Amino acid sequence: MILKIAFRNIFRQKRRTILTALAMIVGFTLSSIVIGLSDGAYSNVIKMFTGNRIGHIQVHQEGYHDKPSIYKTISNYESIGETIQSNTDVEAWTPRVYAGGLGSVGEKSTAVRIIGVDVAQEIKATQFDKKVVQGNALTETASREAVIGQGLAKTLAATLGSKIVIFSQAADGSIANDEYTIVGLAESGDDITDKITCYLHIEDAQELFVLEGRIHEIVVIISNINKVGKITEAIKESLNDSDLEVLPWQVVAKSFYDAMQSDKQGDAVVRLIIMFIVAIGVLNTVLMSVLERTREYGVLKAVGTKPIQIFWLVICEVVIITIGSIAIGALLGSLINYLFSIYGLTYAEGLTMGGVEFGTMYAEVNARSLMIPGITVMLSATLVGLFPAIKAARIMPAKAMRTH
Amino acid sequence: MEQNQNTDVIVTESVTKVYDADGIPVNALNGIDLTIQSGEFTAIVGPSGSGKTTFLNIISGLDAPTEGKVWLSGKVLSEMGGNELSDFRRDNIGFIFQAYNLIPVLTVEENVEYIMLLAGVPKAERHDRVVAMLESVGLKDVEDRLPTQLSGGQQQRVAIARAMVSEPTIILADEPTANLDSKTGSDLLEMMSRLNTETGMTFIFSTHDPMVMESAKRLITLRDGQIDTDETK
Repeated sequence: MILKIAFRNIFRQKRRTILTALAMIVGFTLSSIVIGLSDGAYSNVIKMFTGNRIGHIQVHQEGYHDKPSIYKTISNYESIGETIQSNTDVEAWTPRVYAGGLGSVGEKSTAVRIIGVDVAQEIKATQFDKKVVQGNALTETASREAVIGQGLAKTLAATLGSKIVIFSQAADGSIANDEYTIVGLAESGDDITDKITCYLHIEDAQELFVLEGRIHEIVVIISNINKVGKITEAIKESLNDSDLEVLPWQVVAKSFYDAMQSDKQGDAVVRLIIMFIVAIGVLNTVLMSVLERTREYGVLKAVGTKPIQIFWLVICEVVIITIGSIAIGALLGSLINYLFSIYGLTYAEGLTMGGVEFGTMYAEVNARSLMIPGITVMLSATLVGLFPAIKAARIMPAKAMRTH
Repeated sequence: MEQNQNTDVIVTESVTKVYDADGIPVNALNGIDLTIQSGEFTAIVGPSGSGKTTFLNIISGLDAPTEGKVWLSGKVLSEMGGNELSDFRRDNIGFIFQAYNLIPVLTVEENVEYIMLLAGVPKAERHDRVVAMLESVGLKDVEDRLPTQLSGGQQQRVAIARAMVSEPTIILADEPTANLDSKTGSDLLEMMSRLNTETGMTFIFSTHDPMVMESAKRLITLRDGQIDTDETK
């Protein structure tokens, strides 16, 4: 009967119910969108930052990550790669050679970062071919070709077909010096990277730096980024080599990861503010509803309704409205997040998140964007409902029935 | 105070009630000592502000006295907790209010059934008793209506049915005929008088209505919060 009275009260006072529900629906939907957009943005950024650049897991010679050096190499990388690939969660792996040097085109010179890549495996792992926005990716056999970042091409005034001369120091201490034909211009999504990067075929790079059969890094792409910690441990175990370091992307790109985490904390503050507004709205309407019905509660109590039953009556009303509001909010939030996941939210000026700049934010429709607002709205509504519920339960019937 | 547990349903001892009216203490009741026995049909009369409603509220536990004690069916009301008092009221007292005070979201049938539901009476028994009670107050045809769809007389009949359906020891009626025309008031009074005779329930009215005073078998007059006269017919 208490539930029946609660339901009927809700439908009797439609305007008040709508007001209460609106506060909850708006709060839920806003919160859901904030989570959907931020999760979508994080996913995109992580995808861009890891999948296309640093990978999800990296394998180096021990100590390379903290202090990179041309001399810290891995020699038996093919067999290491095969061991890594045997893990069912691994999608692809690709070896890389890294070195710094001076790049010159004609009379212009600048510092460059040379990345030697295995073209076929790099395409499989990081979609290397898709980064090439002009010209072609490198051919699969070493042909003294180079793909350079668009920013670097601008600095060096290079065009497709230009010759780039690389000067550096080889691993044997000799001068590394060779000329390559620019066959493509790349765009990685990070301007700073594009201003310094020069991709060579891995064999060309090994020859240039006198690193026959040796590399600096193995980049691993896994099927589920959320399992990165577990898979890193599994790879470490299967390699069982103390000379190798196996690092997840959070360690490889620690500053990026830390920046993302602090961005996420910022989102939590936004959510907290939204929920505070919802709680105030709910408290206001529920309190109004209790005060308006003081006489009714007095009557209920006079005829034998226990204080605890009056308490539950108020809480039931709040919970029923909350459940309805969450259902509507979930539909609205999912729909808006779905639309944002397709069309995105374009900013007039690009946003920087975790050091990566992007102009369009795509939302993600996920359980988190429904669970967190759902729990928060339910908790805040029930909590703010407690005060009016206790107030109603403690009403003195004679006094309550004198109110009009 | 000596009490006869078998016949005394209400006993009050030096009951005083002081209200705070914007910082000014107002004595609504001034040391009332009264005993009401089972099966009485008593009217409490007196001018406005004499303390009639306050007295009814205090003897039913709807309000607490500032001083003094109230025994209802042998139990001291002030010694009961909130839930115990609610259960006690539900099982022992039926209320009839001047403003009817029906639960607006429940139908006539549900309003009458409500107290039995709280008391845990089985569904089939509840239904039978509701049907019988509505028939006895002449409301069988309006059982599915909400209180707002009824006339004042019909609402007061529902209130009477609600008060009586759980067969309480006492019916307390605060100005039950005040909002009714004389014909409806007379009919209801006759009905309550009949129920008093048939069931032996104790009826206590607060009233200004000469018709109620005439029907009452005992007439207690309050003046300035004290018993002025107490006559048994």
